[in-house]
Amino acid sequence: MELKPKQQISSYIIQSQEEEIKRISIELHEGVGQNLYSILTGLQFIDSGTKEPHMKNHLREMSQLIEKTIQEIRLLSVELYPPVLTTLGLLPAMKSYIKLYTSTFGILVDLDTAGTQKWLPEKSRIAVFRVCQEALTNIVKYADTSNVKINVIWTEDELKVTINDFGKGFHQAEHGGNNQSSGIAAMKERMLLTGGQCTISSKIGEGTSIELSLPLKD
Amino acid sequence: MTEIRELRPVLEVCDRLMEEAGCDFVGLAIQNTVGPDVRWHYAAGNLNDKYERITVRFGKGIAGKIISSGSAMMLADFPNDIFGKVTDYPIMLAEKLASCYAVPLFFNAVPKGVLLIGKRESFTFPEHVQQLVKDAAETLEQLLNEHL
Repeated sequence: MELKPKQQISSYIIQSQEEEIKRISIELHEGVGQNLYSILTGLQFIDSGTKEPHMKNHLREMSQLIEKTIQEIRLLSVELYPPVLTTLGLLPAMKSYIKLYTSTFGILVDLDTAGTQKWLPEKSRIAVFRVCQEALTNIVKYADTSNVKINVIWTEDELKVTINDFGKGFHQAEHGGNNQSSGIAAMKERMLLTGGQCTISSKIGEGTSIELSLPLKD
Repeated sequence: MTEIRELRPVLEVCDRLMEEAGCDFVGLAIQNTVGPDVRWHYAAGNLNDKYERITVRFGKGIAGKIISSGSAMMLADFPNDIFGKVTDYPIMLAEKLASCYAVPLFFNAVPKGVLLIGKRESFTFPEHVQQLVKDAAETLEQLLNEHL
């Protein structure tokens, strides 16, 4: 697909942002996270050689605080850029994000897949993942729902992802110019830049449906 | 840990607080005995069961910040004037709260829980309501100390 000059600029900005996000994510996980883990191991070593109960208590509290910080750093890193997106592909990354999503927002996500996962170029993989992430974030903010259904269908020449939220829905024409509509425009643009499409339909009282499609053959 | 929902005196404190403070929601989050996870164990006035699945992120949102700082916090007009992103406040979004006041619960001088009251409209919780929440938190600390 031939990109227009304006789209080439958008594509370049998005790619630069993604590279920076990935760098910060890896730095958090492998730099800060590893250092904190070394501190935790050191504290546990000191604890094993300490006899005074009040010192032991203090050490245990400090260890717990570091454990919590390590966990948060790990979650933050995965939230920024899931490493499985590079190693195992789109589907495992989505499954991992859904798990984190449910434990963060309490919204249940039912993921159904059909067909065999194909290996996508990194740019397309990230684009589909980010658009799904944006869709799920919009659901938290606006849909007023407890259940989401995602269908991922792999065929020979196309990847299709459908996200249904069964929430309160919205009038698309009434949302021009606000944050929600900017988010929707960004999702559509992101899919277009990677050669795919994003279609959104919504009905008051019935919910919103987002359909992403990405051709798998040039 | 005994299921908090099975501890009648704890539930009574929360329900009484909701009535006395005239709020729409009361939530009680406590750190699990094993591991660092903090979860919402009980809620009154809840609109749905999302709170049961939410794990409080350390340092994030109102409950996470209270546990990491050990100080009380108030949001009077959510989502305006917040620190961070709207999605950093899952309990406010899940329960459609527009204001809340929350205090830490201390166990062995360490903050390991949160008692939160909330309203579904913008509101600044006055001093006497803040005191009601602090008193309820103290009672809960004593009640829960035996079970944690």
